[in-house]
Amino acid sequence: MAAPPTLVQERLCGACSHAITAQVWSADGELLAMATAGGELLLIDFRAGCEELLRGERDSSLDVVGFSADDRYLMAAGQDGELLLWELGGSGVRPIAFDPLPLGGHWLDAAAWQPQGPLLAVGAGRQVRLWDGDSRTLRIESPELKGTVLALAWSRDGRRLAAACHGEVLLWSPDDPAQAPQRCPTGSAGLALAWSGQGNLLASGQLDGSLMLWPDGGAGTGWQFRGFPGKVRALAWCDQPGRLAPLLAVASSDIAVIWSQKDRGAKGWTPEPLALHEGRVHAVAFAPGSSLLVTASSDGTVALWDGRGRLQQLLEGDGQAITSLSWRPDGRHLVAGGEQGQWWLWPVTLPPSVRSRPPRSGGFAP
Amino acid sequence: MAPDRERLPVTVLTGYLGSGKTTLLNRILTHEHGKKVAVIVNEFGDVGIDNQLVIEADEEIFEMNNGCICCTVRGDLIRIIGNLMKRRDRFDHLVIETTGLADPAPVIQTFFVDEDLRDALQLDAVVTLVDLKHVEQHWDSEEVQEQLAFADVLLLNKIDLVDAEACLAIQQRTRALNPLARVIPTCRADAAMDQILGVGAFELERALAIDPEFLTSDHDHEHDGAVGSVAFIEERPMSYKKLEQWIDRLVSERGPDLFRMKGILQIDGESHRYVFQSVHMLIDSTRDRPWREGETPSTQFVIIGRDLDEAALRAGFEACVA
Repeated sequence: MAAPPTLVQERLCGACSHAITAQVWSADGELLAMATAGGELLLIDFRAGCEELLRGERDSSLDVVGFSADDRYLMAAGQDGELLLWELGGSGVRPIAFDPLPLGGHWLDAAAWQPQGPLLAVGAGRQVRLWDGDSRTLRIESPELKGTVLALAWSRDGRRLAAACHGEVLLWSPDDPAQAPQRCPTGSAGLALAWSGQGNLLASGQLDGSLMLWPDGGAGTGWQFRGFPGKVRALAWCDQPGRLAPLLAVASSDIAVIWSQKDRGAKGWTPEPLALHEGRVHAVAFAPGSSLLVTASSDGTVALWDGRGRLQQLLEGDGQAITSLSWRPDGRHLVAGGEQGQWWLWPVTLPPSVRSRPPRSGGFAP
Repeated sequence: MAPDRERLPVTVLTGYLGSGKTTLLNRILTHEHGKKVAVIVNEFGDVGIDNQLVIEADEEIFEMNNGCICCTVRGDLIRIIGNLMKRRDRFDHLVIETTGLADPAPVIQTFFVDEDLRDALQLDAVVTLVDLKHVEQHWDSEEVQEQLAFADVLLLNKIDLVDAEACLAIQQRTRALNPLARVIPTCRADAAMDQILGVGAFELERALAIDPEFLTSDHDHEHDGAVGSVAFIEERPMSYKKLEQWIDRLVSERGPDLFRMKGILQIDGESHRYVFQSVHMLIDSTRDRPWREGETPSTQFVIIGRDLDEAALRAGFEACVA
């Protein structure tokens, strides 16, 4: 067998003081933010070639971070139960911090910005609070859920919001209060939610080791797939259209699985397990604009796969568990973070076996 | 699974309302034991939170498999401890306080059932506080009986408020209900710190400390539905296979009523002793050390549960003799 092509040539790296809990890119790909279990928030500005520690080390963790769809705001939240927000002025301009917004003392670890809209959804206990970037106010929102919100996800068009807790996934349209919320029973706790572009499918990874899927924005009858080796902790849809549905990557225990839909029947979904990692798979992500999949594990490795589950390359950091992953929106740069605080940025060349559409434009000069 | 020394020890603190949990928590937080302790409380209340890692949780119960008590876990602990373990280097012991009305079983089961917590944490002991002055009034409440039944360490607190006779009576009563726990009379929860933290009650190697007096004495039978215990001792070697089948049948038929079982087993044809424990339907057993020189090999077996039929259990146990 011929040696696989080398996709990754060089890398940039750095270190925070504590485990990296979240990494995220701005929509234009110029800013990268990362949060740590020691409460640090690091913002790297690639165009200006500088970085700033927006928040220093402290006794409470940050667990979620995100840029608004228009890159106007950056949010972060965690153990303190406060929603932190900054207004961004673009590359080279120092972010301006808002006063922290207390959300009732809950440990905040689920939040999501609305695609193509100004809203930020944050799970706070059994409710979802919405912060509106246009009016800069916090709305009391969402019907009460049956349990603490564990995961949140917006549909790709930004119209529907899904929140998972133990026992149900709640679906509603924050911009259309007249539409009645919908409750999908799940029988266990949902840990991860993700919406597909094509088909508007909603996937939920469950604590009981099952995967649930609802077609048509949650309106259709769902499927439930069992038999995963552990809790289903991470999900990612490919943004490339498939024949019926896009590819779905799922992480459970030390495996990742690529699901593809072959027909519309109950048995129409086929799993392709990717067995390689020797520790928990913490994160899965398809590169924007292609079917290149990346998986990260507590064994300290990051693996690149094509859409058919063939290993393309194995990357190693320095042995520490990899806890976080994020693709730059151009689909050509990958950042990963570890449990000791180290982070790596790899430029990635797409292998020939990976389908792709032209990447988004936008300069990049690390 | 990480080696034991790398797993974070967890103490579960239970006790009825007013039994002194907050007093004990404050002692743990202020005591110079050289340990950095993280505490999960159900309400900040009067816990001194200066310079300490104190986190509030809301006792969210996740029922799996149609609400079977044996498959019930604490969802908030899975989430919060999952987050907390990312900053593990900042503390070396975890204490979880439950509300006065909580059943401790879901907390214990969380640490055996959840794949992440099971690997990262080591349940150290369930410490239950008993209010000597008022426990008689609440004795028949399900919560009190469950808290007593699941305890590894029982602090009979407020000894200064009752006379010696009353204290002894309650001590005997708790003994009959739970012969496995270490009973410590205290005043203002002033037990020695090493009797509360670092107990290792769930490590099978330190399996059993049954009061020999309990094993030989007769007990009063409580009324129907009450929690109690039975203990068996057997000098003849047991059949591992028969024991396994008996225990499997027992937990599948009576799991919700069987709170805890512990045993040291003398297995036919084995030079090593076996140790065994269960929490409801969760069973853990292992081949332990060889029987020592001068030690008389025997099997000791304790069952704590509700509505126990001692005669039937004894017959089932004795049928497992090899």
